[in-house]
Amino acid sequence: METAAIQTYGLTRRFGALTAVEEVTLSVAPGQFFGFLGPNGAGKSTTIKMLTGLLEPSAGTIEILGKPFGAGALDLKQQIGVVPEGMALMGRLTAPEYLRFVGRMYGLDKATTNERTDELLEFMQLANESRKLVTDFSHGMQKKLAMAAAVIHGPKVLFLDEPFEGVDAIAAGMLKAMLQGMINRGATIFLTTHVLEIVERLCSHVAIISHGRLVANGSIEDLRAGVASTLPGSEQEERLTLEEIFLSIVGAGGQQEPAQELSWLA
Amino acid sequence: MAGIDGRAMNGVAEVDGGGGMFGAEARVQYAALARLRWHMFMNGLRVKKGALELGARTISFVFFVAGGLAVGSGAGAAAYFITAYGGWRYLPVLLWAVFFVWQMVPIMLASFQDQFDLGILLRFPLRFGSYFLLYVVFGLLDVSTILGGLCCVGILVGITLAQPGLFAWIALGLGVFAAFNILLVRAIFAWIDRWLAQRKTREILGAIFMVLILSLQLLNPALHREKHKVATNPLGSANREEQNRLQAQEYQRTKALFKDRYGPWLGRVNAVQQWLPPGLAARSMRQAHSQLPGSQVGSLESLGVLGLFVFAAGSVLGSRLKSEYRGENLGIAPSASKAAEVRAREVQRRTGRAASGGRPGGSGPIAAVIEKELRTLLRTLPLIYAIGAPLILVLVFSGVFIKSGSAGGVFPMALPLCLVYAQLGFTRFFYNSLGAEEAGIQLYFLSPTPIRTVLLAKNLFHSLLFGLTLLVAGILAVLRLGPPDSMVLLATMAWILFALPSNLAAGNIVSLTMAYRVNPGRITRQGGSQANALLAVVVQAVAMGVGAAVFGLCWFFDKMWIAIPVFLVFAGIAIYLWIRGLGNADQLANRHKDSLLATLMKAG
Repeated sequence: METAAIQTYGLTRRFGALTAVEEVTLSVAPGQFFGFLGPNGAGKSTTIKMLTGLLEPSAGTIEILGKPFGAGALDLKQQIGVVPEGMALMGRLTAPEYLRFVGRMYGLDKATTNERTDELLEFMQLANESRKLVTDFSHGMQKKLAMAAAVIHGPKVLFLDEPFEGVDAIAAGMLKAMLQGMINRGATIFLTTHVLEIVERLCSHVAIISHGRLVANGSIEDLRAGVASTLPGSEQEERLTLEEIFLSIVGAGGQQEPAQELSWLA
Repeated sequence: MAGIDGRAMNGVAEVDGGGGMFGAEARVQYAALARLRWHMFMNGLRVKKGALELGARTISFVFFVAGGLAVGSGAGAAAYFITAYGGWRYLPVLLWAVFFVWQMVPIMLASFQDQFDLGILLRFPLRFGSYFLLYVVFGLLDVSTILGGLCCVGILVGITLAQPGLFAWIALGLGVFAAFNILLVRAIFAWIDRWLAQRKTREILGAIFMVLILSLQLLNPALHREKHKVATNPLGSANREEQNRLQAQEYQRTKALFKDRYGPWLGRVNAVQQWLPPGLAARSMRQAHSQLPGSQVGSLESLGVLGLFVFAAGSVLGSRLKSEYRGENLGIAPSASKAAEVRAREVQRRTGRAASGGRPGGSGPIAAVIEKELRTLLRTLPLIYAIGAPLILVLVFSGVFIKSGSAGGVFPMALPLCLVYAQLGFTRFFYNSLGAEEAGIQLYFLSPTPIRTVLLAKNLFHSLLFGLTLLVAGILAVLRLGPPDSMVLLATMAWILFALPSNLAAGNIVSLTMAYRVNPGRITRQGGSQANALLAVVVQAVAMGVGAAVFGLCWFFDKMWIAIPVFLVFAGIAIYLWIRGLGNADQLANRHKDSLLATLMKAG
């Protein structure tokens, strides 16, 4: 049996009385482009933080590439790349300085770091901004830089928390092509985003979390078939979009109340 | 029908009872803002370290209050003597001193004060008058205004005690003077914040400010040297009376010389200053005191001119706030030609680099962190200032030590004291070494580099900087004071070997457990942790206390050499604790990871 790239068992995180993530068990196969979806506050970022070592789980275990993962698993950290929620940038450095810094923190030798830095800056169309401090970058430019930093060491598993937020259409297309190329070369990508069209286009498998619990997990086709089977006969024939699947799953089971009308709004 | 009138429905109509900055709507907004500040204060104490933070704030508050009362009492005493002994011509000096305290302290303290950004209120339907009023009212809580206000109260009490009949006139004069200062300091602050909102301007202004402050600090030793020449005139073994007589003669001679040389110049300064706000306020009070006919009319005239200054300060503040209120854009996008120029430079730079090959710096995480720290430091003037300013002040201190010595000698402990002062600038490096990382802190937890390696690199960098700074401070002190006793020099070096790892060991723990977010490039609007500051002061005080005790005892028993092995033993213990602390750094960091990430990454 093939070892999962990412595997969790009963992953739980509590903040005092609040359980942000509860008993999440999921498996992501190597080479999979995996979409992790959920409404605001569902526990997506908390899960990704636990998966990348930024947050200690209250219970449960994580395995990355078949090995137990925790904050101290430095050899595994070498294998993963992350674009976290806060982007992990350092405002007082320029983009090349930052990428060189990241490369060296991941143990790359100087020549490789320099070479990859130049390539990444060109690829991300940031080469012209190489004298500007990161703090002066636009949000989209910062996202591109964060993406470059996440891949500079050639990770086998990539975690992306809202990587396309604020990125223009041209750059987004370029990033998608890069990510698809990584998948073709055997990398695994774990993506969270609110843009369901991107997930539908890129991801083969999807998990949906709501109120901290995993409410759906499988290939998009499996989810589509599952949701379609619950619909009345005539509607089963229509091909559902991921947005419809998502709303159907998250809205089901009383998870989402129908929007009340705010009659005092103009 | 209730449902049709949107304003009635959404509650706006309920508070729209009156316009203007004191209308019902504005009053509701003020109350909401007061509640917001209260909630912010209380929520700030709800964190795990809340009790410690509250304790630290209370202690700081007590110190500030005591300091403020002391300054206010001093101003009051001065005012009393000026009035009681007919020294009215010195009143402008007192008011100018108050004026400078009022206007300079906020800039000096800006880095340490937690400022509330009123700009966030502009998204609400706030009238300009209300915005202006709030901006001024918030300024009343500034340390400078409290200090200046206490000085004014002190002066009022002092003069009233000496001459009760003047109470109303003095209160009026000081009231207008205070209004001017409040508006001016807020105007200055508003403009400084406007300039500092752009990074490049901020750095340029930072450089100018640093040069200005350093120049002011250099004035003191320069003046001190002149004074010293008089104070340490060799008197040999002459008796006390002879000494006093000679000193009196010297004093009279210097006074006459000063009068001849600077008298006309001072006359011109005096003529100008009496038309400026502190001079006008002093003149109005002096005229009120005078019994001459028409003097009270003159007093009112002075107050009227001072009122014009108040109006001018208010207008300057108003024009700034009006721009903010209208929503100005402080973006600094480079022009197209500039972008092309940058592109061309970049191509040239890369071509050149390919030919020369490589970049500075070694490889590996420790070298990477050191290089990053160095680059950050070089781009952050407030940090350079934090290191550089104490060095300059060493010159000031050294003058004091010369004076303290008998018969022109130098205080034997001058060198260690100079170095102790010079190392104080490192407190923020040692005790909040992660504070400037902002979102970059995530990288340290994401990368395969252990936190202990990151801290070790930072410690090495800070130690190197520390060593260089103390070397420069030592050279400055030696140049000014002459070479120290060799035993004192060795004992001082041994003390440094103890103080540095002590601070690093404690600083690493505090940095991981009580970090606070700082924007290194910003002078204003920094939020700090009083608990962190208090612990830093405690550890520094212990290290200095141990040093003082050992130095004192060894000096007293004239066995300075004993201090060296004692400090070396302490240094050994401190180094052991530092290494041990580094060993546990990852464990500690992981335990405090949540709060560390949340604190350093929080917005604003």
